[in-house]
Amino acid sequence: MKLKEHWETLTWTWNPKSLRESSDSVVRNLLLHWFPAKVSRESLSFRYSFWLGTITAVLFFILCVTGFVLMFLYVPSVERAYPSLKDIEFVASFGRFTRALHRICAHLMVVAVFLHMMRAFLTAAYKNGLGAQQNRPVNWIIGVILLLLTLLLSFTGYLLPWDQLAYWAITVGTNIARAVPWIGEQIRFALLGGNEIDQNTLLRFYVLHCFVLPGVVLLLFSWHMWRVRKDGGLACVDKLARDQKQKTSATIRAKTYSLLGITSGHNVHVQTSYIDEDEHLVESSPNLTRRLLLVTLATLFLTSLLAYVVRAPLEAAANPLVTPNPAKAPWYFLWLQELVADTTIHMGSYTISGAFVGGVLVPGLLVAVLAAWPYLDRTSANATGVWFAKERHQQNMMFLAIVFVVILLTFVGTFMRGPSWHLYWPWQTWPETPTRF
Amino acid sequence: MNKTNREIIGIFACGAGILLITAVVYADYFQPEWKGYQQEFREIVAKRFGEARAEQVPSGLQQVWARELNRVDRCTTCHQAEEWKGFESAPEPFRTHPADVLKKHPIEVYGCTSCHGGQGFGTDMESAHATDLKDWEQPLLGKDVSKTYSVSDWRGPMQMNCNTCHRYDRETAGADYINEAKALVQQKGCRACHTINGRGGVIGPDLTYEGDKSTEQHDYSRLSGVESEFAWHVAHLKEPKAMSPGSIMPNFGFSTRQAQALSLLVMSWKKNPVSAQFVVGPKIGDFSSPEEQVKEQQMLAGEGAFFVKHTCFICHDVSTLGIESATKIGPDLAKAVTDVPSRFGRPLDDFLMSPTGTMAVVLSTQIHLTEDERREAIAKLKVANQKFMEQEAKAKQGKK
Repeated sequence: MKLKEHWETLTWTWNPKSLRESSDSVVRNLLLHWFPAKVSRESLSFRYSFWLGTITAVLFFILCVTGFVLMFLYVPSVERAYPSLKDIEFVASFGRFTRALHRICAHLMVVAVFLHMMRAFLTAAYKNGLGAQQNRPVNWIIGVILLLLTLLLSFTGYLLPWDQLAYWAITVGTNIARAVPWIGEQIRFALLGGNEIDQNTLLRFYVLHCFVLPGVVLLLFSWHMWRVRKDGGLACVDKLARDQKQKTSATIRAKTYSLLGITSGHNVHVQTSYIDEDEHLVESSPNLTRRLLLVTLATLFLTSLLAYVVRAPLEAAANPLVTPNPAKAPWYFLWLQELVADTTIHMGSYTISGAFVGGVLVPGLLVAVLAAWPYLDRTSANATGVWFAKERHQQNMMFLAIVFVVILLTFVGTFMRGPSWHLYWPWQTWPETPTRF
Repeated sequence: MNKTNREIIGIFACGAGILLITAVVYADYFQPEWKGYQQEFREIVAKRFGEARAEQVPSGLQQVWARELNRVDRCTTCHQAEEWKGFESAPEPFRTHPADVLKKHPIEVYGCTSCHGGQGFGTDMESAHATDLKDWEQPLLGKDVSKTYSVSDWRGPMQMNCNTCHRYDRETAGADYINEAKALVQQKGCRACHTINGRGGVIGPDLTYEGDKSTEQHDYSRLSGVESEFAWHVAHLKEPKAMSPGSIMPNFGFSTRQAQALSLLVMSWKKNPVSAQFVVGPKIGDFSSPEEQVKEQQMLAGEGAFFVKHTCFICHDVSTLGIESATKIGPDLAKAVTDVPSRFGRPLDDFLMSPTGTMAVVLSTQIHLTEDERREAIAKLKVANQKFMEQEAKAKQGKK
């Protein structure tokens, strides 16, 4: 009997022992509370959020599905990774399309996550509003970690094809890690599983890419969504509540729920909505689900279209002895590589490497400030959930300026740096790299 | 139209779009380029040899896995006539491969790309021929490449790959460009300055693995026209100072063909990527001392050669004929004439014609002798015995 009880604590049961247990199982189920029963029109609007978080989640879902399929075809070994990629391209049924879709979604996810972060910053969605138990700064930090994880996911996936593009992008990327003071070499050693990019690196990146990072992302994503519910929905709801408070000081018509049943009056700890239901709220089903379906299908449609049109590149097989010119990091790290190049100073025969400034100091500071920003931002709760709030004008401009510089550097690094890292204008053609025949 | 309706239309439109892309992807999957070629070949075969033969034309993706050479070649998916008779003068992709080359280089072992170049993985012409692909190591070394560099014989460039295995040959049948280049290396004394195959001077760079150089290790700034390693070598061989001004390499006045041949030879000098069994040249074997080699020669050419040829010597000495077995498992055959009757109770002639015991097993499984050969063996053994008796007699006399 005891054994059976233990077993039941370990397994989920459809057969609750008491009413309390049955209600608990529902209350505690995250999936059942992913969406609220009712949702404000403002939260649904494309104008406020552009649905960027949802788009990111859909992209992640497509990546999981296509990645799962590709795992059946890919061999994470130095000898066979590249040939298995060739087989995916040429002979595996729909292999080329699957790989192209996986790649395009990976790139777009980096973009979408970045835009989502921009939206959250510009609307001050990291700030608490009027609701009780809100802790939006924590969710912002989770978001920043998810952004970094997305970059890491993309970066680890970059190596897997084991072609020249992969090999040298990871070479550049991991060399930047060297510039971390004191423990740079150790970090690089841990990343590569040795001193050179070889079988150990490939296996490490493969396991990180396919199991560890997606798992962590899934956990944090769930936490992210749970916190959104705990914080009373999107930040724009707080704006509605604020407007409403200014308009009327009378009690609003809102149902309040608690586990004890329906109570009369309203109390901030038990109410689910602090905005006027009739005016602002609509049923989630079908209003939210319909829009969710639209966003999901639109994302799938556009990425499939792109995947069909844009083939995933596969360069020559990785060759540690032949460095392509120029050797570039993945595009989302090119602003760092560009920064490293720009902060490297040549004085006669002496060279002061910019790897520390461009590769460690600047990105490290930026991420640290970004994560801590909710605690540094001293503006009032009135700015919460408002695009370009007046009182946050200065910080928004500063933020946009930094974003502009990052994008500019990325652009320069991607499109204007030719062989030997020389600057070429977009209308100038790069010198051709020679071939064997 | 209200918002809800717009959204529903959007949902259906995206759904339709996704279905459309799915349909297009499926259509591509079911209608690849190679299916057209296979269809065409089947029709040609049907017309010339009848429906029954056309049935035998394989369908679907074909590939040769040359395991030893680490290659997967899917060329035969379209080039289906390679091993058929009767398409010797048909246009590509349905031409019969010259049979004499295939006899020594069967497709199952060598694949296609190990000689012809190109991308064996590819399943469409563009990627398989790889003529315009920057990211594949070697394009199809055929008419396109020959045309680009005005090589008069389109089989020329391909000979570079012959030399992967035939590197240590003085002459290789069919590889006239490489043969010509090798003759030039001897004639012009390239080894005076350059080390080649580990031997030669140190004035110029070591060329033993010149073909492994990265394409970017040459300076193309003085080269006009196509920027490629091959073009650089040709230009450099014709006038060394034009490509590297400080060079003291003399201008040998090579003709275009000679420069091309030498370039192909130089580019073929790579660290050998194929296993030893493919390499033509010094035979691989156990070490043998000079004394052993002399002994081996005697055994091969002397009176007892018969017993070496038919591998009797593995177990038996034939001491009086100079045959010495390394193992000495069986008795010395020089005594066979007297020895056999004492062991088996039958004369030698009879025994060899229908042996019993161990010899019955050996002569029925491992060593196959015709009746004539058996007679020859008996005759030789009698001679050996004669000599043995003489030796014995002499030894006895000596003792006395």
